[in-house]
Amino acid sequence: MKKFTHIVLKNYRIVLVFIVLGTIANLYSIKQNFALETDLETYMPKSHPAFVFSDKAEEQFDIRDAILIAVSDSSGIYNESTFKKIKALTKAIQKLVVVENKDDVLSLYTADNIRGEDAGLEIEPFFKRIPKTDLQFKQIAQNVRSNEMVYKRLVSEDEKSTLIFTKIKGNSFSEELYEEILTLANSYKGDGLEVYVAGQPIVEGTMAILMPKDMKKMFPLVLLLIFVVLFVVLKSFKASVISMLVVILSSIWTFGLMLGLGIPIYAPSSLIPVMLIAIGVADAIHMFSHLQLQNKVHKNWSNEDLIVNMNTEMFSPVLMTSVTTAVGFLSLLSSDIIPIKYFAAFTAFGVIMAMVFSFVLIPAALKLLGIPKNKATAKSTDTAFSIKSKRLALKLVAHKKTVFATTLLILLFFGFGMSKVWINSSFLARFPDSNPLVTTDAFVNEHFLGTTTINVILESDESGKFKEAEVLNLLADLATDVVEQNENVGGSISLVDFIKRMNKVLNEDREEYYTIPDNSDLIAQYLLLYEMSGGSDKLWEVVSEDFNTANLQIQLKSDNSKSLNATLNSVELYRSKFEDLGITLNFAGSGYKVLVFNDLILQGQIRSLLYSFLIVVVLLTLMFRSIKLGFIATIPIFITTVISFGVLGWLNIPLETTTALISSIAIGIGIDYAVHFIDRYKIEALKHENKSIAIQETMAHSGRAISFNAIVVVIGFLVLTLSAFKPNIALGALISLNMFTSFIATITIMFIVLYASNLFFKKLN
Amino acid sequence: MNKLTLVLSFVLISVSSITTAQTAKEIAYLVYNKKSPLNGESDMTMTLINKKGNERVRILHQYFIDLGEVEKQLMFFKSPADVKNTSFMNFTYNEEGKNDDQWLYLPALKKVKRISNSNKDNDFMGSDFTYEDMEKRSPERDTHTLIASEMFNGDEVWVLEAVPVEEEQYSKKVAWISKDKLSPLKIDFYDEDEELLKTLTVKDINNMEGFWIIRGQKMRNHQRNHTTKIDLTNIVINSGVLSSKFTQREMQKGL
Repeated sequence: MKKFTHIVLKNYRIVLVFIVLGTIANLYSIKQNFALETDLETYMPKSHPAFVFSDKAEEQFDIRDAILIAVSDSSGIYNESTFKKIKALTKAIQKLVVVENKDDVLSLYTADNIRGEDAGLEIEPFFKRIPKTDLQFKQIAQNVRSNEMVYKRLVSEDEKSTLIFTKIKGNSFSEELYEEILTLANSYKGDGLEVYVAGQPIVEGTMAILMPKDMKKMFPLVLLLIFVVLFVVLKSFKASVISMLVVILSSIWTFGLMLGLGIPIYAPSSLIPVMLIAIGVADAIHMFSHLQLQNKVHKNWSNEDLIVNMNTEMFSPVLMTSVTTAVGFLSLLSSDIIPIKYFAAFTAFGVIMAMVFSFVLIPAALKLLGIPKNKATAKSTDTAFSIKSKRLALKLVAHKKTVFATTLLILLFFGFGMSKVWINSSFLARFPDSNPLVTTDAFVNEHFLGTTTINVILESDESGKFKEAEVLNLLADLATDVVEQNENVGGSISLVDFIKRMNKVLNEDREEYYTIPDNSDLIAQYLLLYEMSGGSDKLWEVVSEDFNTANLQIQLKSDNSKSLNATLNSVELYRSKFEDLGITLNFAGSGYKVLVFNDLILQGQIRSLLYSFLIVVVLLTLMFRSIKLGFIATIPIFITTVISFGVLGWLNIPLETTTALISSIAIGIGIDYAVHFIDRYKIEALKHENKSIAIQETMAHSGRAISFNAIVVVIGFLVLTLSAFKPNIALGALISLNMFTSFIATITIMFIVLYASNLFFKKLN
Repeated sequence: MNKLTLVLSFVLISVSSITTAQTAKEIAYLVYNKKSPLNGESDMTMTLINKKGNERVRILHQYFIDLGEVEKQLMFFKSPADVKNTSFMNFTYNEEGKNDDQWLYLPALKKVKRISNSNKDNDFMGSDFTYEDMEKRSPERDTHTLIASEMFNGDEVWVLEAVPVEEEQYSKKVAWISKDKLSPLKIDFYDEDEELLKTLTVKDINNMEGFWIIRGQKMRNHQRNHTTKIDLTNIVINSGVLSSKFTQREMQKGL
């Protein structure tokens, strides 16, 4: 390292020019290749069995999330002006480019009304021409009320609102489309008429657009604050600028490479700068901290001596921390989700880049700009900080048992909290409560069956299976139970509703016939009658044309994972009953996929945490040549992880993608602190051969750098708690919390264990 | 005439019509007034093809009779098995504005159900044909324009555009009409927004006992991405079916 540093210092101009050119090249690459991937479908592991199945079912039954437009008239919808608007709005939406098919727009104007007529069957829209008389409106209102398939689904119970469902082509949601629909919808407002736009595509799409935007707005604030705090703790403008450059340049080079390779920025990758700042700034802080301390002790050393000393002494801990952190992130490569793999690989790359810049940029820049002066503490080597930290070290040692006991209590408390952690894949829950999307969604959920859909796909090898009365009755029971057992389930639609409806209307509209007839041929003939009477393709959204596969659509009033899971559990109760009839049960649809997707992320995250522990133990065992030390080094990671999840549990903050990924940072930071601390302890122990002095010196040296690092990042990221988006708030709070607990865990419990272990002092004993 | 114009499309050869130049309206009347058999029967295979290319096949046997004021048609399902002997009867009246009468007999229900078909825009048996597509249409209800006179698949054709006088389900139809067979070989249907909705293609047109008979035809709905093929076999022209065949009692007897 000495030689290397000398070479860098000798050629510092070339080194700096090279870094500047490299940075320009990477900035160019970012500018040229910039691509943000917001389409959720691309995040899903396509080959995962659940997704393969769901995609197939979505194709078969044309399962797509709908955009919901609620038209609400405070005086009731059954009047000429509102009907005119419903018709006009329906037609206008049908003409949108993203609407492939006119049948993809479902409203009172287009929906099928299945009804009995003079001992016959009539399937027609509720209206074609705008009715002229009150009597006609009353008749339509009556038709809607008596139609179980439409009432509450399309028209609210209070008859003041009606919905227009729109399925859009593929995943063509865009900000422009949302604007277009919103403008269109708003143009129908007025005269006591309110128009609301809601639905999953809007929520997902808007989130994918707004969340990075929010981050873009907040992130410069984070950087600025970190810079200010760096300046306060390092008391040097130069050192602060160089430290910032290390993390900013490593982010630029990482994104330059990633985008240059043609990989777009996925949502997790947008966290890379966050990770690099929290982790990468540590390298620079430790090096500057060391430099400043040495500068105080060895006043006669030349700048070059100081720089070479800094690089050589810090080489081993910075290398160790960077390699272990990088490997820790690489363990995320075991994830099923490709964007997470990219996140892992490029964060690891960024961590290594931060290390390289620390060893190259810091010396070269210091050579160019000169060593920062020790302003505040020129008089004495024993600064106030040093005295305090040495006292702290002794105090901790004196109260060993208290520290152990406290740690144990904390672990128990937060360990219990961990058991309360729940996962929420809800998109809506990420928005601020005041966002119009949240209020609109609430309005639609209050008045209709719900904005979230889960599909239950029932499959048999036998064609015609879903004409059998026994099978349909079981399906009917399932549909009833799911609605009854789950408060959040608004309703469902399946083949059963079509058959019951027809059975009723073909039997003089008598309520007792709202059942499944006990005759498969009759069911088949009803279905034929349905088709012959002008019934639409909507039938093929609930059953396959050879009647061996059926789709039960369940509508929920919440996309919260708790509701979704409760609903899935009610359905699961029927799995064995269907299996007895030779029918397999599976789930499909975006709501379900998002649920599985989040489970996969979390499983991957937990797996990766476990791998990380192992990797850290092995690597540190090798580095320090002691298995005991390997385990001691995991203490901060362990405690940080437990507290991080425990806080989520106790505060009832659900885990979702962002919060889950943040637990990676626990590893990165935990390792950094532990390694720096242990490495310094080893140096001091071998130097002084006195345990008491060794711990005091370690605390004064490493403890200083660690506390600087913690303070800088904690304060910097607390800014994010001012964000509008809940995950961004959680991100800021969690990073701050993790930094803080890692810091405390390192200088208290790990410190005590290290002290008690008598490592490096065996010779003495 | 009734829906058989297309279901069976018995078209009389009208040699005299070919020679002279025609106005658009005259062509429409030539097609409208061509003679067709008075009764007959055949098997009919209806194939419904969805956008994934899955096919559903229905086989029926049909009888028809032309009584001048009214045309009657009776169909029995032969397959699929669970709808076997389900029967459908249709009366089309020549009187302008009078709706068809339709009945369906469901053997499992043992009841004849009337299908109140006030809406001719409805699909015929869930196919891509609407009832109206299968009926003869008075030329007075449209404004006709002769767009071209050209060759089409080896036939000399007129290309005739028809725009309804009043607003209806189609905004426009363009038909390629064979000059010697006086039968459309292809029709494009445009929806109310003047976008191409469906295309009818005649596959197999044959001269049987002096009538041009369409034995195979295909209707493709471009917007639904759905196709219906109708093929006729075992055709017997003037088989001597009696008008007493067309009753609700007969419907219940089955084939």
